[in-house]
Amino acid sequence: MKFSEEEIRKITFDALTELGSNASPEAVKNLVRKRLEQLGGEFSSTKNDSSGKVILTSFGLNHPGIVAGVTQALGDANCDIQDLSQKLLGDFFTMIMVIDISSSKKDLKEVQEEMNKVAEKLKIKIYLQHEDVFRYMHRI
Amino acid sequence: MPYEFEEILETIRMTEIEHFDIRTVTMGISLRDCSDRNIAVTKQKIYDKIIRYGKNHVKFAKEIESQFGISIANKRVSLTPISIPFDSCRQDEFIEIAKTLDKAADEIGIDYIAGYSALVQKGMTNGEIELIKSIPFALSETKRVCSSVNIGSTKAGINMNAVLMMADAIKLTAEKTKDKDSIGCAKLVVFANAVEDNPFVAGAFHGVTEPEIVLNVGISGPGVVLDAIREAGNVDLQQLAEVIKKTIFKITRAGELIGRKVAEKNAIPFVIVDISLAPTPAEGDSIADILKAMGVADVGAPGTTAALAMLNDSVKKAGLMASSSVGGMSGAFIPVSEDMGMIRAVQAGNLTLEKLEAMTAVCSVGLDMIAVPGDTPSTTIAGIIADEAAIGIINDKTTAVRIIPAYGKKVGDFVDYGGLLGKAPIMEVRNISSENFVKRGGRIPAPSRSLTN
Repeated sequence: MKFSEEEIRKITFDALTELGSNASPEAVKNLVRKRLEQLGGEFSSTKNDSSGKVILTSFGLNHPGIVAGVTQALGDANCDIQDLSQKLLGDFFTMIMVIDISSSKKDLKEVQEEMNKVAEKLKIKIYLQHEDVFRYMHRI
Repeated sequence: MPYEFEEILETIRMTEIEHFDIRTVTMGISLRDCSDRNIAVTKQKIYDKIIRYGKNHVKFAKEIESQFGISIANKRVSLTPISIPFDSCRQDEFIEIAKTLDKAADEIGIDYIAGYSALVQKGMTNGEIELIKSIPFALSETKRVCSSVNIGSTKAGINMNAVLMMADAIKLTAEKTKDKDSIGCAKLVVFANAVEDNPFVAGAFHGVTEPEIVLNVGISGPGVVLDAIREAGNVDLQQLAEVIKKTIFKITRAGELIGRKVAEKNAIPFVIVDISLAPTPAEGDSIADILKAMGVADVGAPGTTAALAMLNDSVKKAGLMASSSVGGMSGAFIPVSEDMGMIRAVQAGNLTLEKLEAMTAVCSVGLDMIAVPGDTPSTTIAGIIADEAAIGIINDKTTAVRIIPAYGKKVGDFVDYGGLLGKAPIMEVRNISSENFVKRGGRIPAPSRSLTN
């Protein structure tokens, strides 16, 4: 639910009156936030990424089960794999995925933590970075 | 796939192998509304304001770090030059303020807080004189406070009285921090043509024309440029300039992205990205190594200044194309102690103070982090500062001196600070007196801007 500026102003003035001499910028902010939440407002502090697209890069020595291990973990986290590309250079394995984490209950940090565990188990390296960094660096 | 395989791997290589990082995200906070007749109230106002704006600075920066996979080496705060809002303070009160800044910096978890500064290129107020006198005490009694004083500008000339005072302040700071290799001097910069939006410590401050609060970003990636030059192989200099520009373009774009995102989280305006190439003591993260990869056998060889000029210019050109918010210093830094290649060149006897001075004429930012014998007279240090300031005011550029007359040490010794400040070999200073010149005092008049030969 969204509030208009007018409504927020009113709630703030009410909060100021309620706090009286105890009003400090911090206290007012907290009280206004509480009131807004009671009225059904949402504060999405964790999932405010501009888009849910993340680039996953993994590499290491090739052995059976890497793709399975990585995709299994992503599936468990409810991440949508949108594109996948992989190459073998001798014994060296590289895989890049475009995944969408917006349908996942986990935020990027939690997915990263999950994937770190997978990387350790499979003895490979896995990096997850928000797509924007590639867009900024490689597209004008 | 929306991106090429190689593009993605290139970014990973930059961040994971070549030390590309965001060198600093610096929050600039105005202290102009913190003045009060009562020093205790002033201190409380300063402390409260820094905490209010800065309390989530480190946390937010860390969140952005993991989101984009690019590390942010330092999170810092710069302040209005404190001699301006607190001009009525005496020396001991300024020291009290420095301690308050140190406490606030500790509380919000940043490594340095900068802006214990004064701008005295034309002349000094009583408050500014008190501040300069307080610097050695403030720097020796705090851990995180950084100080800078601007003593010259193209519009005003060079204030030699202030130069002399600063030389004395540097000597006293070295003595007061002698137990830690005179580390106080590593936190003290003497500027000419100081910029008001520089995010790089120790010289950062939040200029008087800046708004209430801003976020500035400094980027760094000598390692990335070095590898790109090595990969380019034997190409001519025009092609080499192109290679450098392409690399800088990419890292500036990343810097701008990170700056915008950190500012967004803090709900404050993002103002500038400073596209300086700043080395770190890590192996390969070195400007000296770039110059060597360009072809000079060592830093100090004839040709070094030309190579550096080209590098610096390419950095600016690419940065300006990549971002509309370029500001700060924006050039290549050549601090000695923070660059393994520079240290080796000094040790090998290939790089002298005089050559270093010539190099500063074509790059950012001046004689930076150079250690000299502890018995160097303050008038000689004043001479070095005046020389460097002259290069700045004549060429319309920022120059600075961050010199460490290491107490009790002589040529051949080292000062070692560890971390980003690194270690510096004591460099030889010509034993010829500047005393009669610098002791004349007064002001070197502002230079003419025509007949520029």
